[in-house]
Formats: sequence, C-alpha cells, structure tokens
Amino acid sequence: MQKPLHSNLLLVMKLTALLTLFFTLNVSATGFGQDRINLRVKKTEIGGVLRSIEDQTNYRFLYNNELQDIREKISLTVNNAPLSEVLSLVFFKTKLSYQVMDNNLIIIKEDGEIAPVDVTVRGKITGEGGAPLAGVSVLVKGTSIGTTTNNDGNFSLNVPNADVTLVISSVGYDQQEVALNGRSEVSVALVTSTKLIDQVVVIGYGQANKRDLTGSIVKISGKEVQDKPNTNPVASLQGKVAGLSVVNNGTPGKSPDIRIRGTVSIGQVNPLYVVDGIFNDNIDYLNPNDIESIEILKDPSSLAIFGVKGATGVIAITTKRAKVGQVVVNVNTAYGFKKLTDKIKLANASEFATLFAEERAFDLSNPTTTPYDYTGLTANTDWIDAVTRVGHFNSNNISVSGSTEKNKYNLGLGFLSDEGIIKHEKLQKWLLAFSDEFKLNKAIKLGFNLNASRQHNPYDATFVLDDARKVMPQVSAQPKRFFVKNPYGADSLNMDIYSGLDVGLQSSGVVNPLLYVENEWDKVINIEYRTVGSFYADVSFLKHFNFRGTVYADVSNLNKRQYTPLYYAYNPKTDVPYIYSNNTKVVEDDNTWRKFQQDYVLNYKNSFGDHNLTATAGFTTYYFGNWNRNGQSSQQSGPTALPIPDNDRFWYINNGFQDNSKMTSNSSQSEYSTVSVLARALYNFKGKYYLNASFRDDASSRLPAVSRHQQFWAVGAAWEMTKEEFMQNSKFFDYLKLKGSYGVLGNQTASTLDGTPLNYPFYPNLSGGANAVFGTNIYTAANTAYIPNPDLKWETVEAWEAGFEANAFQNRLHVEANYFNRTTKDLMTNVQRGALGLKDKLVNGGSIRNWGEEISASWNQNFSSDLSVSLNGNITFLKNKVLTLAEDIPTGVLSRGFFNNGSAESRTAPGHPIGSFYGYIVEGIYQSYAEILASPVASSIGAYRPGDFKFKDINGPDGKGPDGQITTDDRTFIGNPTPDFTYGASVGVNYKGFNLTVDMVGVYGNEIFRTWGSLESPFQRVNYSGDKINRWHGEGTSNWVPIVGQGDRFNYNGSTYNIEDGSYFRLRNIQLGYNFGRQMISKWKLTNLRLFANMQNLKTWKNNSGYTVEYGGDATAFGYDNAGGAIPMVTTFGLNVTF
Amino acid sequence: MKLNKGLFWGLIILIPMTFPHLGCKKFLDRKPLTATIEDLNKGALDGQVLNLYTILRTNAGFSTLPWVDFHSIRDDDAQKGSDANDGKEVNTEFETFQYTKDDWAINSYWGDHYTMINQANSAIYAAKTSSITDEASLRNVGEACFFMAYAYFDLVKNFGEVPLINFPILKPTDAIQPKATIPRIYEFIDSNLKVAAQYLPLTTQAYGSNYPGRLTKGAANALWAQTYLMRSDWGKVTALCNEVIGSGQYKLMDNFSDIWREDPSGAGKNCPESIFEMNAWMPANSVGNSNLDYGTDWGTCQQIRKNGAPVGWNLGWGWNTPTDNLVNAWSDTDPRKGKTILFSGQSDGGPANGGHGATIPAYTNPDGNGGLAQKYWNKKLYTGNPPAMRTFTGFLGTTDGNGGARWINHRIIRYADVILMLAEAANESNNGAVAAANLEKIRNRASGNLGPTRTVLPVIPFTTQAAMRQAIKDERRFEFALEGYRFYDLVRWNDAVSTLSGLGYTNRCRFYPIPQQTINLSGGVLKQNPEW
Repeated sequence: MQKPLHSNLLLVMKLTALLTLFFTLNVSATGFGQDRINLRVKKTEIGGVLRSIEDQTNYRFLYNNELQDIREKISLTVNNAPLSEVLSLVFFKTKLSYQVMDNNLIIIKEDGEIAPVDVTVRGKITGEGGAPLAGVSVLVKGTSIGTTTNNDGNFSLNVPNADVTLVISSVGYDQQEVALNGRSEVSVALVTSTKLIDQVVVIGYGQANKRDLTGSIVKISGKEVQDKPNTNPVASLQGKVAGLSVVNNGTPGKSPDIRIRGTVSIGQVNPLYVVDGIFNDNIDYLNPNDIESIEILKDPSSLAIFGVKGATGVIAITTKRAKVGQVVVNVNTAYGFKKLTDKIKLANASEFATLFAEERAFDLSNPTTTPYDYTGLTANTDWIDAVTRVGHFNSNNISVSGSTEKNKYNLGLGFLSDEGIIKHEKLQKWLLAFSDEFKLNKAIKLGFNLNASRQHNPYDATFVLDDARKVMPQVSAQPKRFFVKNPYGADSLNMDIYSGLDVGLQSSGVVNPLLYVENEWDKVINIEYRTVGSFYADVSFLKHFNFRGTVYADVSNLNKRQYTPLYYAYNPKTDVPYIYSNNTKVVEDDNTWRKFQQDYVLNYKNSFGDHNLTATAGFTTYYFGNWNRNGQSSQQSGPTALPIPDNDRFWYINNGFQDNSKMTSNSSQSEYSTVSVLARALYNFKGKYYLNASFRDDASSRLPAVSRHQQFWAVGAAWEMTKEEFMQNSKFFDYLKLKGSYGVLGNQTASTLDGTPLNYPFYPNLSGGANAVFGTNIYTAANTAYIPNPDLKWETVEAWEAGFEANAFQNRLHVEANYFNRTTKDLMTNVQRGALGLKDKLVNGGSIRNWGEEISASWNQNFSSDLSVSLNGNITFLKNKVLTLAEDIPTGVLSRGFFNNGSAESRTAPGHPIGSFYGYIVEGIYQSYAEILASPVASSIGAYRPGDFKFKDINGPDGKGPDGQITTDDRTFIGNPTPDFTYGASVGVNYKGFNLTVDMVGVYGNEIFRTWGSLESPFQRVNYSGDKINRWHGEGTSNWVPIVGQGDRFNYNGSTYNIEDGSYFRLRNIQLGYNFGRQMISKWKLTNLRLFANMQNLKTWKNNSGYTVEYGGDATAFGYDNAGGAIPMVTTFGLNVTF
Repeated sequence: MKLNKGLFWGLIILIPMTFPHLGCKKFLDRKPLTATIEDLNKGALDGQVLNLYTILRTNAGFSTLPWVDFHSIRDDDAQKGSDANDGKEVNTEFETFQYTKDDWAINSYWGDHYTMINQANSAIYAAKTSSITDEASLRNVGEACFFMAYAYFDLVKNFGEVPLINFPILKPTDAIQPKATIPRIYEFIDSNLKVAAQYLPLTTQAYGSNYPGRLTKGAANALWAQTYLMRSDWGKVTALCNEVIGSGQYKLMDNFSDIWREDPSGAGKNCPESIFEMNAWMPANSVGNSNLDYGTDWGTCQQIRKNGAPVGWNLGWGWNTPTDNLVNAWSDTDPRKGKTILFSGQSDGGPANGGHGATIPAYTNPDGNGGLAQKYWNKKLYTGNPPAMRTFTGFLGTTDGNGGARWINHRIIRYADVILMLAEAANESNNGAVAAANLEKIRNRASGNLGPTRTVLPVIPFTTQAAMRQAIKDERRFEFALEGYRFYDLVRWNDAVSTLSGLGYTNRCRFYPIPQQTINLSGGVLKQNPEW
C-alpha cells in the first residue's frame, strides 16, 4: 500500500500546480460602462434592444415583462458608445430607470416603483451538501426588485421593508419563498428539484428538457453509484431502471451482462455507452465518483440518432462538471469486506468414498469390488473453503471543483482496491478526471475533458471455483514441508509444497487449483492504461444558432506479462515431492486500442409565436483500431542452462536467459471506420403538442462499397393533456403526458454465434496454422476462415412504443408506463455448417421480436421538515420470441452446445424465446430391467440400464406424437433463460440527519441450465455434487438422481435434470447514513460530513443450487451455471467530507 | 450580411478541426491487415490443394481418436486402451457396438471427411474456372481428386449410402443432399482416381526435390485397388496392383520395424515401402510452440499412457492397444509379434526389434494405480518415438505439457498391402501360384528374409483355394495388426458376425448410423441409415 499512496500524493501535488495556472485565468470584471456598444435599430421594442446589448456585453438585464414601457419602440444609432450613455438614450422617453447590481446585472424599474429604501437584506444561498450557489435569483415577491447571488452564494438586496417575502429560484432546484419577518440576514438551503418532468436529460448530440421529448429516457443520479461497492458503475444500476437488465459478475471489475428492452440480436446485444459524447463499448475507465448522471435511452425516438449502434439501447454518462460557485473540495472514502454467501454442496471424503466404491461395483465394463487404494489420501478438505477468503474493498476519492465567470474546472482523483473472494484475486485502479471550460467571450466556449486510468487487473482466478469443486476431498489443501533441491540453484532447502493429485484417478482437466494460485498469482503483471479525452469549441451566433465541434480520442494499452516459475508438488500417494513446473517461461501480450471520433453539430433554436423548434444537424466520423502483439520465450534446455529468474526485471521476451529457438511472436490487427450525417427536430406547439423526428445515415468500412450506406430514422409525438383546458380543473393530475414513437434502428453486428467479432465480414482471413508437411519441409497452405457474402447489410430493429407519464397528488406520485415492441429484421447470422464439412458464412435473414411493458412509479412525501419518505418501484414484463431465422441455416435453428458433445444445448428457434434450453424430459429413473422392458426403447441414444434416466417419449420422426421409441426426436424446449418479469423497489427514509435506503431487486420466471454435477466430461473424474447422496442405488432408492457412473453416458444427455428455477428476490442494498448538522461541523470549516454503512447482496432468496443465481452470457447462450460466478455479500463503511 | 463576432471566431477555430477525413471514400476503404485468398495467386489452387494435406494431418476425423475408433478398435485385435476411467463412452460405442448417433467421434469423423470433400471441390472449381493447362496445376487437380476419393472411400466403408457432393458449395442449402447409392459413390470414386492416376507423377521428384511423401500415381493406383478389393472386383485389383508393382518404385523394407522408424533428420519417413503417408513434423525444441507445430495427434494418441508409472513415461494417451485375443492368437515364433506388441514390465527389445533399449514400467491394474493401466501397447507407434526424437523436440514425457509424439507420420498405404491384395485377388481368380508367391514375399520378409528353407514362418505352398484364402486372411491379420484394416476385412470376408458377435456385433453394425446433427441439418432431406 505504501507505493500507491505515495504516487497518489505526488500526482496531487503536480496537478495542484497545474490548477494554479487556471485560477490565474480568471478575469476580473471591468468597471461599469466601459464596454463600448454599436447599435443600429429602427422601431424596435426596448426589450429587443436590451437583448442586443446583452449579446455585445457581459451584462444581463432583469425586468418585469409586465412593465408597459418595455414594449415601447425606439430607433437608435450609436457607434462605439459607452453603455451608460446608450442606456440613457434607450430610456430617454420612458418612465424607466436602471440600477446596476453585482454580477453585471442591471435591474430595470419604473420610476417611483421602489419605495424609499428602508432595509438591506443580506443572505447566503446554498445547495446540496451546503455548497454555495452562485447565480441564484432572489426577488421580492410581487415586485421586480431582485438580484442574483455572487460566487460565494451571497447576495445583498435593498427591500422596501423587513416584512417582504423573497422568492428564491435557480434552475434545477425547487423554488422557495422566504418571509423575512423582520430579519435582515437570511440563509437558505435550496433543494434539488425532484420533479422528473423538469429534468434536463442527455440525448444524442445534445441535451433537452425531458418535457420536450417524446421518448423514454431514465436519468439516474451519480449519487446512486458513487457510494456503492462496485468498481464497475453499471453494476449499481441493477433494479433501478425499468427495461434495463443487469446480470452481475462476481469477478472484480468485470462488466455485467447488460440488455436494454430484451435480446434484440443473435450477435451484438450490449448497449452503446456514450460518455460525454464519445461512443464506447464499456466504461471500465470511469470512476463511479466522477459520474454526474447516467441516462438510459430505450425508445426509438431517442435512439435513431445513434444510427447503426442505437438498436441495443444507449447508456449515456455525464461526468462531473464544476458548479458555479467557490472552490469545493470533496473527499470520500469507503472500506469494506466481501463474503461468499451461497456455497454449492459437494461430497465430503466419506461420501466420495461411498459413492466411488458404488460406482466401481456398478461399472459397466469393468465392475470391481476391490476397494480403491486411498493410501496417502486421508484428508477431508472442503475445497471451496480452501480457495476462498474474505475480500476487502477500499475506495478513496478526492475532487476539487471551482468556477468563475470565465472558467469552470473539475478535478477528480481516485484509488480503488477491490479484492475478490477467491484467494489473491485483486483489482487496483487509479483514476483521474479533469475537465475545464473556458469562456473566450460571450459567444465562444472552449473546453476539454480528460479521463485517465491505470488499472492492475487481477490474476485470472475465474477457473478456480470450478477447479476446486472437482478435486476429491481426500486431497489435502495444506502445504507440507519438504527438504528439496532449490529448483533455481544447486543448494537444498525446506519448502512448503502443495499436493498434486492422484494422477491415476484425477488427471486430465483436473488440477489442484492451489498449486497454480499459490505459486503463480504474483507472477503476472497485467496493467491497462487508458486515456479518454475530448476537446471542443462551442460557438453561439446569429442569436438562434449554436455550433459545436468536438474531437475525441480514446487511446489505451493493455500489457500483460506472465512468468511461469519453477515449483514442486508432492505426490499424495507416495509423499514424494516432484517438480511440477519445470520450465520457466515468459509470455507477453500487448494490446493497443485507438479510437477517434469527431462530431460537428449545428443547433438552431427558435420560437415562432406558439411554435417552438429545436433543430440539429451533424456530421460525425468514428475510427476504431486494435493491434495485438504477443510472444513468448522459455529458458534454454540442457543440464547447464539457467532458468529465467523469478524476478520481474527479467519478465520480458528477450530477457537474456531465453532460448532463441523457442521464441515465438504473433500479431493480430484490425480497423474499421464509419462516416455519418444526422439530423433531428424537436418541435412543440404551445408546449402542448410535441413532435420529435430524427434521421441518420451511416456508412461503414465493414460493408462492401455498394451497400455501405444505411439509413435510420424515428418519429415521436406527445400530448401534454394537463395543458388542455378540460384538464385545467382536474384535481387529480398535476401532469399527464401521452406519448408514442416509431423508428428504425441499426445494429452493427458481425460476429460468430458466441459474439467473437468478424472484423472484415467481406474479406475472410486465411486461417493460421494451415501448413502442408512433406518430410521435414513445411509449405503454407491456403484456407479461408469463412465464405464472404457480397449482399451483407446491418440488421435493423423496427421499434415502437406508446406510454404515458403522469404526476398526481400534488406531484407526490409520479408514474410512467410504456408498452414497447421491437422487431429485429435481417438478423445477421453466422451460419455454421461444420457438420456438413462447410465453412461458415454471414447471411441476413430472420427476425426476433421483443415486446413488453414497463411501469415505474415513485412517491415522495415530506411529513415534516424532519421526516420524509420516498418509495420507488419498477417492473418490466418482457417477452422474447424468434419469429423466423435465415433460410440459409440448414437446420432452421441455431444451436449452441456445451459440455459432453453439446449436451448443454440452447436453441434459438422460430416460435421460441432466444437461447431456449433444449433436451429430454426426465420422467423418472428406470427402477428395474422389467421397467425398461415395459418402456419405449431408448437404445438409439445410447446404452442404458436400471438407475438411468427414463426420458419421456413425446415425438417420433414424423413429429406426430409418441412413437414408442426414445430417440433424439424426443428432445424439446425445456427452459427459457429470459425472465418473464424483473422488478426493483427502493424505500428511502430521511429523519433529521439520518437517511436509510433499502433497495430490492428480483426476477421471475427464467430457468438456469446447471452443467456441473451432471454433464461431466468422460475424461475427468471429479468430486460428486452434494445431491448424489440421494442417488439411485437399487430399486426404489431414487426417482430423480441417477446411478453414479461416468460410463453411463445415457445420463449425460441434457435434460430437465439440469434445469433449475432462476427466479429470485434479493436485498440488493441497505444503506444507513448520517449527515452531521451544519452547526456542529462548521467549527471544523466543513460544509458537509456524512457517515454511512452499506450492505450489498445481504440476502438472496433463490431456488437453484449454484453459487449465485445470476449467469450472463452472449446473445444465444446465457443462463448456464458452470460452477462459478459467485457473487459475494459486501459490507462497506464510508465517510464523505466536503469543505 | 456582416458576420457577427461569434461566428467569425467560431470559423477560425473550427475550420482547422474539420480538415481530417474529408476524403470519405478513402477513410472507408479498409481491407484486412493480413492476407486474404484474393492476395494469393491463381485462386490459390496450389494453396488450396496443400490445405488438403493440412486437413488430413490436423482434422481429428483423419488424424486421431475418431479415426482410430472407427478403423481400428472396432476389431477383435485392438482395443481402446488408455485406462479404465478414460473415454468410457468409446468402450460402449466401438468395443461393444452400441453405436451412438451423437458423439465427438462420430460427429468429427463425418464433418472432417466432408471438410476434405468440400475443400477438394473448391480446388477443382478454382482450376476449372481459371482454365489451367500447365502441368503443375493439372497435378494439383490430380491431388484434389485423390483426396476426394480417399474421403469417399472412408465414408462408403463406414456408412454405406451417403450424400454425394461433387460441386463447390456456394450456398449453404447446396449442401443439403439426399443419400447416393453405394454403386454411385464407387462410380464417383473411380472417376476421381482415374483423373488422379492420369495426372499424378510417378515420383515425388516431379514436384521438386523437397516434396517427399507428396501424392504419386502409385498412391492413386493402390487406393483404387483397395476400393476394388472392397468390391471383390478381383480383375481390377490384379491389374492395379500389377501396375504399382511394375512401376518399380516400391520395395518391402528388410526389417519390419524399419517401416515405423523416425529420426531427427527426418530419415525413416516415406520409406521405400510407403506408398501414401500422412506427413507430420516437429522441428527442434518445438514442444509447446504453436508456431513450430506441424505435428499431429496420430503418434501421441497411441503412445504409452503414464498413469502411476515413474516420471518420464508420459508419452501419450495410450489408445489403440492390442487385445488378449490378438496376443493369444499370435504365435511367439512370428518375429512381427514382438515388433507389433509392446509388453508392460518387459524390455522393449532394443533397436533390432523396434525398441530403444528401455524397460517398460509394469502393469498394475485398469486404474493405473502405481503403474501402467495396460498390459500391451502399440509398438509400431512406439518405434517412432526414440529418445533422440524426444530430446530433439523437447517432448520429454516428464510433465503433462511435454508428453507426446506429434512428429510421427501415419503410414496409410504400404507396399505390403499391394502384395497381399494381389495374392488375395489371384487366389480368388484361381491363380494359386501367384497367390502363394506373393504371400511368400510377405512371410519371408516377416521372418527376417531367412529364405525358403526357414522354419520360422515357413513357406505356405498353394494346396486349395480355401486353405490359401485362410492363409492370406491370417497374414493380413498379423501383418496389419493395429493399422486399421481388420474390421473392414472381416466385413468384406463376411467373417464379422462370427468373429465379433461375442463383442456385440450384428450385421447392421457393418454400417454406422449417420450423425444426428447432420440429419437435423438437412431438414428431412437426408434419411438415417435404415438399419439404425
């Protein structure tokens, strides 16, 4: 820990120096009247003239629109005149006069409007967490007297008397009225607006008020993710958003499996991430603490603008920007620990011995009652306990932000350390976020964003849980001390050595995971650097236009160097140590990614009477390049050769110890690019009727030139009914909006069925390793990897939705409900024809439909100033059905098979949900030969005997029901990995300084395919799963768990025996926090101090036997329980300080 | 209209930003950063044909367990081997004739054979469309036709009726074909071998000096003879065998063991007795180095499996081992017995008998606890695994990763088979003298060339056709033990039921069921073998 802390500190110091530079850029306001004005107006309303002056200066005018004289028309020509002179001319014939306030604000009032000044009120306005708010409007109620706060949140205002009421408002905060009641000092804390309809949300290439949109965008505050113990911020969204499915992964830092509104493709199904404008396929480089907000875009009218990448939905992330106000420093830290909660059940030593003896006695080809020789195998190890531990989580962040009139900056630094529950699994991340926006003048803004990360990826321990459950419990997990020769030298020494396996019984594919984990965990250096940045210039011109040009770059490098050391294992049967790893080796793998994007977006915003229009047009390009180089070298051979030392100085391919004849090097590289134009119009009439339309044309380098361009579009409409007269008197609804949209979205997917991308679908590579050998001569052979398809195009999703948003009960209740329907057309399918000896080919064809309903509701109520309660809930009903598949698929179905020659099969077939599990229905166990004779013959699928599964006869080759034989025709759809519905709920209670939130999440109606303990490889002897204690071992002993026997391959067919219920309900998060009162902490110069405790995954109610209930996967194969993926319970304690 | 100040500044800043990528066409034209087939010459005809050799060497259906399962361990003399816990399903499927329609062995055997067929079709199509006439390209066509016939001969022997694909598959649906009759498949094999025999050169020198083992006319004729033998067309067998013999290109090795020798110099491969070999090679220090791996699992899968034996004996997977039935039926006086069967717990017999001067660890029990799990091993493959090769390649057998013998060539067609085919055809054509003379060539070599007066494997003169037939059957059994001939010989002699019924064989077992995957893929066009 010493090292990172030190380098962190150094970084802070350097950056502080850099920041000082930016402070000096703050421009102090010039004295009033020094600005020179040029004006030439004819019969223009005074209001308009003032706007022209605003355009030329930094001054703003504040006046009451009801003032009669403001509508006076004047004509005026001035050249290079001081402002004071111009204003005198403007107001010459009116009753108006003006008053210059702080902050370049000029208040215009009617002469005599203000009564003789009696009182000066001073005050301070603060926002969330006590941070001062600048630019807040403070008005005396019923008058036009007012001012705004300065950078420190302070204001000073002359008011007629000390009994007036001040109206305090600021965008994004609830308006407050404060009666002075004789006070001349006030302090007001504004509360962030919770009215969802007034949120400003990020849409593609801009932002908009949610009220103006016709689609479904859900905004999640960054606060929801920053105090949760997930290094990947997306994991914290589970259960929060209707239509968003999050299937978590227990490995630190690993991305969860995310799907928005169903599985729309058989290729690419991950959403697009858009971080401050840049397109990305993940957000691993972002610090959860640097996120301001996350928007989930789900509907066609929001997604069409993303073109060929929009169909799978978009997760748009906005990172933190400085808020107007003084320098704010925020420090937060969290510490916690992780525990494995749901262990799988396995046989212990005596159970293993019983079951194995029984299996040997019942063996088909070689029955024996000779006891197995367990010499030296006397332990009773719980292998899951042996490889797991309590993991620790630690996160530390500091952020500094500040702003002046000209410059806004935000700096965030973070360090995260995340240990897995598997021994030695640990992720470490250092994260930097830096943004600055500089106002060149009133029209031009320049800015940049920078996110950088350095990530130490964990030692790959994903295999450990599965390996551990395979080892027989008789093998000891404890190292033993032996006096052995030093493998690196000539001397001998005492070493603690882990046990090997009984190779006669457990050899191929079964290992003692501790041998690897304990000897090799610290022999890998796996570091990823990533820098994502953008630079933009934003120009406002001709009043209604805005042009923004942005260039983005995302450059990253992942370098992995792995060293294989020399080490011993001991033979548990003979108790003799032997060299287990006898050849030192270094493997280096270097990956570079370069992604460049540029956006040029022109915006036009204007109102024509009751017509309001925002139009956007843009041009954008995207480039992606990946270069991988890898190589390896091993030590020289021969008795005098030296091993490569166990010292990271030498962990390079050329290390001076290598055998040049054994060095290898390889590379792979690919690029693609897109060029796009886009357009969008947001229109409304009287704020009552809304129309949104968008269009995008994408040209991609991945498609042949003739079919390179493809177009995507959407239209949406909404009706804000509460604006209608007939609704004006509605006591019930405060807000009601009906909406709907329709569009065609794109999905740039070109991959094999397991999601491996085909980078050049039109130009197949030659397969590597194709060589003809004649004697000792080698000749390169030509073998194309797949067949190109000149007619290829991207698949499209035709989507529509209809729904409503409503507020009722004085805005306390907010409800949003949508029905959606998404039909994917021209599915891009990699047709696999290996069984016909044919190469694969990408074709278009087939269709998938996803449809369902999303309902979310929230209730917020303040019972008193001390007590408020909020309730949130959402539920998503989703149906998925494959309508058709490409005609070129010979079988008419897409089959994905795993384990034991594909016995764990999922099928994507017309009329069924995508990736449905396929196999036999188990009716029971054959209890006797008599029962076998009395049952349909099953020999066509293998040899069988009493104790084996009795599969149900459901069909014959003609597809017309039972035919008296059990054949492969009797397989059917036995499970669906997609839930019928998913739901989430949270309860929040604030009482004085305490706040408690409880988040719950659940899914219902999906199935899991368990492969462990049932579909073991015939080559592997593995420990028995716990349920085998209740196996069949004689007539009447079991009608569900079959006879134990690896030779009984009949039972290794996929069947309902493997299917488990995937429904669950989980207490996802419970968080209790306490915010110290301002009075108490102000003496330490703090504005906010918060302590919290959080428990994640406290309890899951589930019905399956695996470590967890969440199993992700790819588009056509997911929901497999392969004895891994344990998702731990995490308890954290945190502290958040602002000063 | 005068530009306002903002617009002016905006343009100053933005125009330089927009310069890149204005040439969209170029920005969007991206070819792979590695070679594609378009980058190769002549539709890559030579490259595509060379890939047929790659398929033969690397695809499991030709080079490892699935081939061994189908061709060898189904008979009474070879068995799965390995240990009791390994590959139990193969015992069921291939030792006890409970054939399954969906398993790795069957699926890869079928798929890999059609992979070879489709690659051959694609190469022939490339030759046709570029209307080649040069000698080298015509040789390529001959090679493609040979592999086409080779794959179909395996298929027709194992499955009977199968779909006939004699065109390149351009659309996936093209591959969906019903079964063709057995005579139609043989007709297609004949037409291919005719072309192969026409265009293939007499010696590999025609390809250049560095192509030992590349296909020759002799290989085409010998394979053709094998296909006629399967059809009992004695006249054609006689004619083709005589052509091979008459070419003068081949001879029997003096020492039976020398057929299987391998050496770091490459000597031992493609010996004068070899007519067709699958060639493989592992250069120096190539262990674990995928870039230098030109090997195959053929040798690895049939080497001694270590189990509980001492370090250094992890030579391979231990499949395709002799049965007690073979050991008991074979007289110890036949020198070939000690050169074919390696006995656990005994000396390997030294170099004269195909050994390397080592003593094999003892057999303990079928689990292999504390020793080996088999009593006998396949010595023909052990001969090709000398310590010199292990040191040279780094396959030292000390750990999991470095056990194996990936350099060993599969001796697919030997001259000895041509001699015995001729003997059998002559005997069936009532030419007893020719039959006896050719049988004698094999027996004399097996004895160590002791000549007509020897007592070991004495001369068998022609007495009756039936006696000679039995003598030839016995000779084929021992000469080719573990080499993958016997099951098909038993089937064509109609001896399979009598010999194999004890193991579960019935007449329908001569043909394997077509893999279920393939039936499913055809959407009802392809029908299952009616007996299954």
